Amino acid sequence: MTDQNTSVGSTLTVQRVRSGLARRYRLERWFRRFGMMAVALGLSFVLVLFASIGSNGISAFHQGYVRLDITLDEKTLDPAGSRDPEVIGKASYRTLVRDTLFDQFPEVTSRSDKRELTGLLSNGADFMVRDQVMENPGLVGTTHSFWVPVDDEIDMLMKGYIDRNVPEADRRVSDRMIGWVDQLEKGGYLESRFNTLFFTNGDSRDAELAGVRGALAGSMLTLVVTLLLSFPIGVATAVYLEEMAPKNRITDFIEVNINNLAAVPSIVFGLLGLAVFINFFGMPRSAPLVGGLVLTLMTLPTIIIASRAALKAVPPSIRQAALAVGASPLQTITHHVLPLALPGMLTGTIIGMAQALGETAPLLMIGMIAFIVDVPQTVTDPSTVLPVQIFLWADAPERAFVEKTSAAIMVLLGFLALMNIVAVLLRKRFETRW
Amino acid sequence: MQISTLTLIVLAASAVAFYLGKRRALNLVAGQGGPRSLHSMPGFYGAWTALWAAVPALVVLVSWVFLEPLILRALLVSSLPQDIQSLDPDRLGLLLNDIRNLAQGNIVSGEITAVQQSAADHYRHFISLSRLSMVVVCLALSVLALAFGWSKVSPTLRARNRVESFVKVVLILCSSIAILTTVGIVLSVLFESLRFFDRVSVSEFLLGLTWSPQTAIRADQVGSSGAFGAVPLFTGTLLVSSIAMFVAVPIGLMSAIFLAEYSSPRVRATAKPLLELLAGIPTVVYGFFAALVVAPWLRGLGDSSGVDVASDSALAAGVVMGVMIIPFISSLSDDVINSVPQSLRDGSLALGATRSETVIKVVLPAALPGIVGSVLLAVSRAIGETMIVVMAAGLAANLTANPLQSVTTVTVQIVTLLTGDQEFDSAKTLAAFALGLVLFVGTLGLNIIALYVVRKYREQYD
Amino acid sequence: MKTDKLQQAGNSSVETESKKTKTTVPGPGSKRTVGNIKAADPVMSATDVNVYYGDKQAIRNISLEIGKNEVVAMIGPSGCGKSTFLRCFNRMNDTIEICRVEGDIRLDNEDIYGKDMDVVLLRARVGMVFQKPNPFPKSIYENVAYGPRIHGLTANRTELDEVVQTSLEKAGLWEEVKDRLDQPGTGLSGGQQQRLCIARAIAVSPDVILMDEPCSALDPIATARIEDLIDELRKNYAIAIVTHSMQQAARVSQRTAYFHMGELIEVGATEQVFTNPRTKLTEDYITGRFG
Repeated sequence: MTDQNTSVGSTLTVQRVRSGLARRYRLERWFRRFGMMAVALGLSFVLVLFASIGSNGISAFHQGYVRLDITLDEKTLDPAGSRDPEVIGKASYRTLVRDTLFDQFPEVTSRSDKRELTGLLSNGADFMVRDQVMENPGLVGTTHSFWVPVDDEIDMLMKGYIDRNVPEADRRVSDRMIGWVDQLEKGGYLESRFNTLFFTNGDSRDAELAGVRGALAGSMLTLVVTLLLSFPIGVATAVYLEEMAPKNRITDFIEVNINNLAAVPSIVFGLLGLAVFINFFGMPRSAPLVGGLVLTLMTLPTIIIASRAALKAVPPSIRQAALAVGASPLQTITHHVLPLALPGMLTGTIIGMAQALGETAPLLMIGMIAFIVDVPQTVTDPSTVLPVQIFLWADAPERAFVEKTSAAIMVLLGFLALMNIVAVLLRKRFETRW
Repeated sequence: MQISTLTLIVLAASAVAFYLGKRRALNLVAGQGGPRSLHSMPGFYGAWTALWAAVPALVVLVSWVFLEPLILRALLVSSLPQDIQSLDPDRLGLLLNDIRNLAQGNIVSGEITAVQQSAADHYRHFISLSRLSMVVVCLALSVLALAFGWSKVSPTLRARNRVESFVKVVLILCSSIAILTTVGIVLSVLFESLRFFDRVSVSEFLLGLTWSPQTAIRADQVGSSGAFGAVPLFTGTLLVSSIAMFVAVPIGLMSAIFLAEYSSPRVRATAKPLLELLAGIPTVVYGFFAALVVAPWLRGLGDSSGVDVASDSALAAGVVMGVMIIPFISSLSDDVINSVPQSLRDGSLALGATRSETVIKVVLPAALPGIVGSVLLAVSRAIGETMIVVMAAGLAANLTANPLQSVTTVTVQIVTLLTGDQEFDSAKTLAAFALGLVLFVGTLGLNIIALYVVRKYREQYD
Repeated sequence: MKTDKLQQAGNSSVETESKKTKTTVPGPGSKRTVGNIKAADPVMSATDVNVYYGDKQAIRNISLEIGKNEVVAMIGPSGCGKSTFLRCFNRMNDTIEICRVEGDIRLDNEDIYGKDMDVVLLRARVGMVFQKPNPFPKSIYENVAYGPRIHGLTANRTELDEVVQTSLEKAGLWEEVKDRLDQPGTGLSGGQQQRLCIARAIAVSPDVILMDEPCSALDPIATARIEDLIDELRKNYAIAIVTHSMQQAARVSQRTAYFHMGELIEVGATEQVFTNPRTKLTEDYITGRFG
């Protein structure tokens, strides 16, 4: 093989190309590096977000408890000896609880010191003791050990969030309280326990008593309303637009409308809910019913778009086969097309529900932001939802609410993850390639 | 009787009707050829009767529930003495509220007058009357309609066609909800905005430079004149959104390019869903993250370098919003980049272009309209984003372009104006709707342009 | 790209293979190419090339030379590996993740899969025209100027204008587009687009032009123009063309290579291959028994 065949133009090309190669490869490397950095940056955001929520929130699943050995004197609690919970419940457990605590620290005598000492306990301590005694009237007349939650600031101290080296004035827990806590700790009176209150209580002003039960119930009620409305309506709309509607201006307009609604800011739906459902129709404020209606309108576009995609994926041959054996259009759809498209529609619906579960802004507009302690029972009870609860707690000044907020976020993300996993599994399980 | 119980009874009647209708159809043809001589399958006759039993009653029930408060209110007002009726609407509303609360045995603000007491009694009477008549009307209607449908059943009745056209009507009604929603949004926002513009001129609202909506509740209060110049809100919104786009566009676009053009399928299969996790996180979580982590961190950074950073700076909210938008841009751009035909890349590579040259000079220009479309969609999302700014941005309407200062946005103001106890008619609450109108129109415009651009782009390569 | 298996490069045993007479069905992996794989004045030469897609072998031990001032046509039934083989010459197979190339391919005696060979430089010297015309969504001018620009071949605008004009002239497109150079290349007709792609390829003055079924998406009239153009280009470039059409191979090429199931069955002067095929497979194919 000989060379010398190379034409003059080609030699020139080789020279010139070669002279620029180093620069071009440098650019290439930089470009690639930028791309990698962008992905790495994006992933690190994910990591930082989850890590900060996790590290802030994990401690909220534990709560400091103090043991009180309360003597349940029959004379004060149940003088008649009836053991009727009604009667037992009437006694002053506040005094009982306090006196037990004071007995542990006989050196504390002045009124103000005593008040400070009771600050160790949660405000809910007396109620919890009362509830336990009412449940077990047999305890009356005995001395029983009760574990009651400590105050949120003490809980923070136990978890190490309060720096003991900070000057006393800058700290929310006084030196004396720290002394008491240490004393109790040494005596084995303090214990960190799994925080069941967080899952069984509604909202509270006291961080140690605040729980997500009410918000969870509100979220569930709202989601049920949303699901019951948006799934049938969404599927019906998709079926009509995809299978039956003539191609004309009106259906075009509906389509454009749906696509635009999918991109309208959620808060605008809140304004709609406020003006139409609450002010015009006079529906109750803060109710899951109204929240569900607003979220229905908001998630409908998602469900419709997903359902239409699922219907589109069913091959026309199936429709033709059904029509050819004499099925009516509606029978074709209900017997053949819908069952095949259903997994796709359900996936879209679950994703829509996940969106609705995480939505906050429109619900603020319709008053679901109120402070509600009770767990809602029906769709017209005033209630709040989990994201709004997070928003409310995020605003609270107490340090303890930071971990509560993060923990509530973990609960919320857990539910979202669950829904998305179900959606993915559903898609995997029923995925059909035509 | 509870509404839900009534609904259940009507549905039960409907189920019975299904059985009755089906049996009648079968009985009618029992001697003459059996089910084959029916026009439709027996089940359709059942469905026909069942629809008659359920639909009219349920329609009446639903409209009753919706209209009852309006009618009751009118009745209540007309039963009040003349001098109270002529009160201005705000005062009348408060009074009616009291009466309603009194009737339901709730706590009432202020003293209870004899007029209120008698009105409350009236009201209670109206309610029980209304409920009773609702039950009677619905049940009667259900039974009557059932009987009518049942009597219509005959072998020649085109039951299937009737039932199917009913279903079709229902489907059309469902489809029209999309339109109704849009109409509802436009009307509710527009109507309240017009009332706002009665009090504050459009030009003052759109061009005014001062925003301080703290109007006095009583006329004699000091500082009663609120200022409703929304320009600081618009600039604040734009500032936060631009910061967000400044973060999201480069990172999102470069990630999309890397994942589409450089990474191995394995890396792509793991990195892409992980990035998209960011899109599934509720915005309230981002808001908390911005307020708890990012804002203090930026402030600390500012302190240590001697720069004054507000604790609710536009930067913190903007950066976090940008993070939220990254997956939005990256997945949309990814679609767009993947739809650029491979033949163009091959053509460029075959000429000796490097990958980056191919991306920069061929793929990106070809994908540009699509990318512009997705960025516009992302901008519209940033503008309408609420929770992050509510939690991390400020309330002070500063007219500034300094990202280290505190600014407020349109959505923050809507939330602030409408949460808490407000009278519905004050200029302050109405202003929220005017802001909502601006927000709706702005994002709608962006969306329409973006969807149009993206669709045109799709057509180019389809 | 896999250079480690190239020890036997150079001492090609193809010489002996060419003496074989008509065979029926080739055995797997055996080198039984019939005919002379040598070109009179070779620019590129492939020796013992194997290509794998994952576990699947697409090309088995093929050797072939591409000579200056000639057109080599590669024919064969679909899926016989002719396009895959063509794409080895400018390493376009690099872009396919699972594709692996073994063997020795040289451009002017330089191993193109070797360490010293730069793929950018290689592709500047070995141009390619694709099956479907793929002009960039840019103006006609920018399409042709693309190669010179990225490689920095021209010093100034006048030079670039000149390159664009001569390239378009050589591609026989200048007269048709000289008044609308700023209009998008995608607005041209199919045949014009393909000639634009040829102009784009020759604007970087390559030594070799690879054409992968360049006329399969075109109508007969546009095809005829491209075929005339190929004949014209032969004066300056070495050309290898993959084609589905035997008539086209007969019309434009000087040498023809017949591929079957990833193997090179027969190579020879076009006239000889078409009039007097030496293997049964070639004969069956050109007489239309399969394909």
